[in-house]
Amino acid sequence: MKWLFAPQPRGRIAALRTIAYLFIPVDVLLTTSWVAKHADVPGSLYRPLYVGRLLHLPAPGPVSVRLVMALLLGCAFAAATGRLPRLLGAAVAVLYAWWMVVAMSYGKVDHDRFAFLVLLAVLPTVGPARQGDGTEDESSGWALRCIQLAVVATYFLAAVAKFRFGGFDWATGATLSRAILRRGTFASRPLLSVRWLLVAMQFAMIGFELASPLLLRGGRVTKRFVLFLYAFHAASFVGIGIVFLPHLVALLAFVPLERGAAIVAARLRPWRRTFGPFAQSPAAVHNRS
Amino acid sequence: MLTAAGRRVRAAIAVVVLVLAAAGTLWGQDDHFPFAPFRMFATRTSPQGEVSVVQLRGQLAGSEPEVTLSMGSFGLRRAEVEGQLDRLTRPGRLGALVQAREAIRGDLPRLAALRLVQVRYVLRDGRQVGQREVTLAQWRR
Repeated sequence: MKWLFAPQPRGRIAALRTIAYLFIPVDVLLTTSWVAKHADVPGSLYRPLYVGRLLHLPAPGPVSVRLVMALLLGCAFAAATGRLPRLLGAAVAVLYAWWMVVAMSYGKVDHDRFAFLVLLAVLPTVGPARQGDGTEDESSGWALRCIQLAVVATYFLAAVAKFRFGGFDWATGATLSRAILRRGTFASRPLLSVRWLLVAMQFAMIGFELASPLLLRGGRVTKRFVLFLYAFHAASFVGIGIVFLPHLVALLAFVPLERGAAIVAARLRPWRRTFGPFAQSPAAVHNRS
Repeated sequence: MLTAAGRRVRAAIAVVVLVLAAAGTLWGQDDHFPFAPFRMFATRTSPQGEVSVVQLRGQLAGSEPEVTLSMGSFGLRRAEVEGQLDRLTRPGRLGALVQAREAIRGDLPRLAALRLVQVRYVLRDGRQVGQREVTLAQWRR
């Protein structure tokens, strides 16, 4: 119980807000722009998810999809400024969840969104937060812990799913060969003839997914694990063109972003003094000293 | 500092969400998103089996040879087409894709014919040793 509320820096919440809310336009317009195309797909190919049926959400159409998209982008940009963090953050969380229902209701459900959805849901529970603020408190601690737990669950449960759907011999199969045959790149195609290496990589994947709770240990273990995960996702992108960007944003909950923000702020200070809206003339600075 | 009640509510939410995520992976289906199983690449491909990829091939109005068309121009991802094969292979259903393409990419030449093809790579000991093609559905204007 104590562990769930262990104080963590408020500045990390501020940094995550900026990054996550600015990532949303990138996600919607650039990296997963296919979601918006569902607007024009005929209703006969719409496969509503359980949550869509439960809430009686209307089938996505040209008007509703564009409306949700415009509202989501507007709220995300507004929320990225850090103003009204509870209200705007809650609006972004609801609209993005709706956007995901539009995304996943056409025959394919992705699993790279869980931690990002948790992130959007918990950010508004923390009040105003200042960039670079190293003060630790319980509400930031709970929010960050939830995101961290969601990231761990994504990896750990991915291993469980492999046992459930692929069987306990999943690692000796040809799943990576399949992935490379279907979406390989110049970097990964040569691996098709080195079967032992692909099998070793499959064992390694199951291994690190099962070891993912170690991310919660803190200290050097967490740091190295996080670095390894970013490298793993970068390698997957080079090899099969898949990268779980929303998940990688959520993974930042383990990174001391507040320190980075403090450094950026310190670097910007002399510039702001010279060129900013309240810039003082050199003479004024001189006189004061 | 959080109040005792605030803590209780937050702890309960965290536990419920984690339990739902775990239950989704153990017993749920894709339908239960966001509590669906984390099943990307979770199925096992037999090293002696087949790997299949669907393609949409079309004949553009006024030209003879058939070309492979990008899935994006139909408003779906390849995995979505593969996830709906049961529907798309029913008679007359391929027309829905043509309709989507005309709505999304009205700038492209119209299709005279469309074929949903499954390319199957044959594996032996995990290596590709052959390839064959199956036509799953056809549409003509």
